[in-house]
Amino acid sequence: MADEPTREWSDEQLKSDDLPKKDLIKFIQDNGAHSFLNEHKLLGNIKSVAKTAKKEQLIIAYNQLFEGKRFKGSEPVEEVTEQVRVVKIEEKPKEAEVVDEGPPKYFKSVLKKGDKSNFPKKGDNVSCWYTGSLEDGTVFDTNIPLTARKKKQSKPLTFKAGLGRVIRGWDEAILTMSKGETARVEIEPEWAYGRKGLPDSKIPPNAKLIFEVELVAVD
Amino acid sequence: MSLEQLSDVVQRCQDLSDDSYTTEDHDVFSISGRTCIEEGNSAQVLSIVLDEKNQDIVRCMGWNLLPPLIQVLLKKQNEKLSPCLAIFKHLLQTCRPKELLIGLLEQLEQDDPDTIAESLHLLLNPLQKVLLCLGSRKASSLGMTLSSVLDQVAKLPLPHTKEQEEDDVFSLCRCCTDLTDFVKPFVHEARRHLLNREAQIENTKKMAGEQGRHEEDELRTELLKFAMKTLSHPLLELQLKDQDTLAVSPLRNFATEILNTLSAIGESVPSLVFQPLLKRKQVPGFLEEEVRYPKESLASLAHLVFVHHLAADTFPSVFSSVFSLRCNMEHICLLLSRTEESRIQKGLELYEKSLVRLEDGSLSADLLEIKTFLTVPQNLVKVMTMCPRHDLRTRGLKVLQLSIDKFDTEAKYNFFQYMLNTSHHSGVEGYVVKNIKIQIDSALQPGNSNTWFEGSQLLPLLRKVLSLPDGPETDLLQYLDRVMESLNLLRYLVIRDKVTENQTGIWTELYKIEDTFLKPLRVGVNMSRAHYERELHDTMQTKRGKVKEESVLSVSVGNEKLPNMTSESQIQALHSALHTFDMIESVLVRIEELTEVKENL
Repeated sequence: MADEPTREWSDEQLKSDDLPKKDLIKFIQDNGAHSFLNEHKLLGNIKSVAKTAKKEQLIIAYNQLFEGKRFKGSEPVEEVTEQVRVVKIEEKPKEAEVVDEGPPKYFKSVLKKGDKSNFPKKGDNVSCWYTGSLEDGTVFDTNIPLTARKKKQSKPLTFKAGLGRVIRGWDEAILTMSKGETARVEIEPEWAYGRKGLPDSKIPPNAKLIFEVELVAVD
Repeated sequence: MSLEQLSDVVQRCQDLSDDSYTTEDHDVFSISGRTCIEEGNSAQVLSIVLDEKNQDIVRCMGWNLLPPLIQVLLKKQNEKLSPCLAIFKHLLQTCRPKELLIGLLEQLEQDDPDTIAESLHLLLNPLQKVLLCLGSRKASSLGMTLSSVLDQVAKLPLPHTKEQEEDDVFSLCRCCTDLTDFVKPFVHEARRHLLNREAQIENTKKMAGEQGRHEEDELRTELLKFAMKTLSHPLLELQLKDQDTLAVSPLRNFATEILNTLSAIGESVPSLVFQPLLKRKQVPGFLEEEVRYPKESLASLAHLVFVHHLAADTFPSVFSSVFSLRCNMEHICLLLSRTEESRIQKGLELYEKSLVRLEDGSLSADLLEIKTFLTVPQNLVKVMTMCPRHDLRTRGLKVLQLSIDKFDTEAKYNFFQYMLNTSHHSGVEGYVVKNIKIQIDSALQPGNSNTWFEGSQLLPLLRKVLSLPDGPETDLLQYLDRVMESLNLLRYLVIRDKVTENQTGIWTELYKIEDTFLKPLRVGVNMSRAHYERELHDTMQTKRGKVKEESVLSVSVGNEKLPNMTSESQIQALHSALHTFDMIESVLVRIEELTEVKENL
């Protein structure tokens, strides 16, 4: 424990104009406990304290410091808190807080097994036939034409997987599928079109979407 | 006279084989034939043309009669009509396609809108028949035809209101419908080729013959060029009416057909719309990417898909809303960087539609690293401050606010910094400062705390806001919006944030703000006030003395010099300025009062 500080100035010297406020403030800040400084509004940048505090107040505080012996170190927990508080934050925090989102918001059941060896990686081009419906059974989208002949003339949907180009439920599910697999994927609205839905389409707000997806190609 | 000449030359040539017709024969036939038709002797010409003995002659020379015939048909005078129509039909069946094509194309070019519309209506069908006769070499001729047709369509006035579309006074709607019918067989042909080729690849794993493929590709390319061109004009200029406004809209149908055409020739609409972000493999062919897919046409396509929902049934509902926004930003950037009001309006509509799909606060700050996310707001500022149309300026502001709402707090913070640095416009800066205040207010609500609009992070932003661009010499009237909003923000902070809490850091910053902002502002206000009071005094003196002032400069609008400001107006303006300074001062004083009170607690 440090020795108790001693008075530096006499009453007369304190009142004199020769003693600048900031010297007084510095002394009190160097020697006073954090809670003491807080009570007397003597925390922070010396210049700013000097602007807001009158000389009379400082003299009073100075005297009270000694009378109450509210020196630094007399409240150890406070000191550590004070030091931590005073540390300047130099850089902007780079990482956003990693929020634990909880369990995946989709559910996949395999209808037809794939080759179990060709799994798409992030950035791979994948091609799918799919049908999408709402919980009530309404089909809102499909790229499978009605006749087999027309299917020969159509193309499957192709996109790069895992890059956020499609709704999250699709991105996540497709990475778990292998070539040739057909699966039923139920996607909660948070990983589909959320609270807004798709305006001017068949997908209403907060809609759970059900897709039947066949992964035909991976490259 | 001409009739005799015509009969003579025809008689003479009957006995010759067609490769021994002389140039003179051709000329006499042409000139006399034309004259006959123009003089109204078309019935006689018809009988000559229909005569079996003359078919070789007609085949070789008949096409020269097209110009006068078409002129007559366009004039629509009933007496002459019927034989001319018959001659026309016969020529179309008899003459050589290549020559017919030249004759018909020539007649497409007209000057006044009425005649243009009529000639298109008359000639598109014949042109189609002729082109279909050209067999596998039709592609380049088709291209030429489509190009000419679109050039003519470009001369037609566009309907803007629902009523104008219904009335179709200048026949644009009819032309578009005719045009759709015109291209149909070619689109079908291109589609057949595509499917055949794919089937072949499937079955034999061999490529189709090089030559055949080349020509098929040419056909697809010409149709692609056509579709892309229509997307720019007329589609980008037109305001399509939706189903509720106009149940049957030929223009909307036309647009839908263009989208269908693209799909039919193998150009996937999603791929086109998302093209800015997709790295496409260079397709070997005639045209390079930028020429093949002009940016403006793609922007028009995106607008048709996202704003008008055309061909919505075939557009996949699986793409994420953020991805759609990222792609559309490129289109929006292009549209908003133009000065034509039609482009700007569509840019705003597309931006709005893309943003509305997103939840508030869902866009993260890393999106601001994408160039378009910075250039689009700059373009918006230009629209809001310089576009002549009031409704577009207002809409621009609305869309700007919408875009701000979609950013999360870190992105908002960065965006506000960016806008304060780059917009160079007092009104815009004032608006941004107002938004900052809203964000701070939100952060101070219990449970809403965030690191960006409170505490140490907020300070750099506050410092930027609470500053004067030119110190005490800042032109307060020019920067009024910015200055007032900054003062309002300061007053708000001083009231809302308790000295003991200092959540925003304002209390420890205050002494600095006094030096960099409040003190120079007080000086500026005083200086400006003194200046304007002097001006007012002088003006009133002048007015009393009735001395005519020679003004230093004059303003002319459209060759008319605007009258000088009257003394009354000048005095009014000066009073208004002085009132403004009073307003600024009152807020300054209030802030002073509040800070003194709080500091003395």
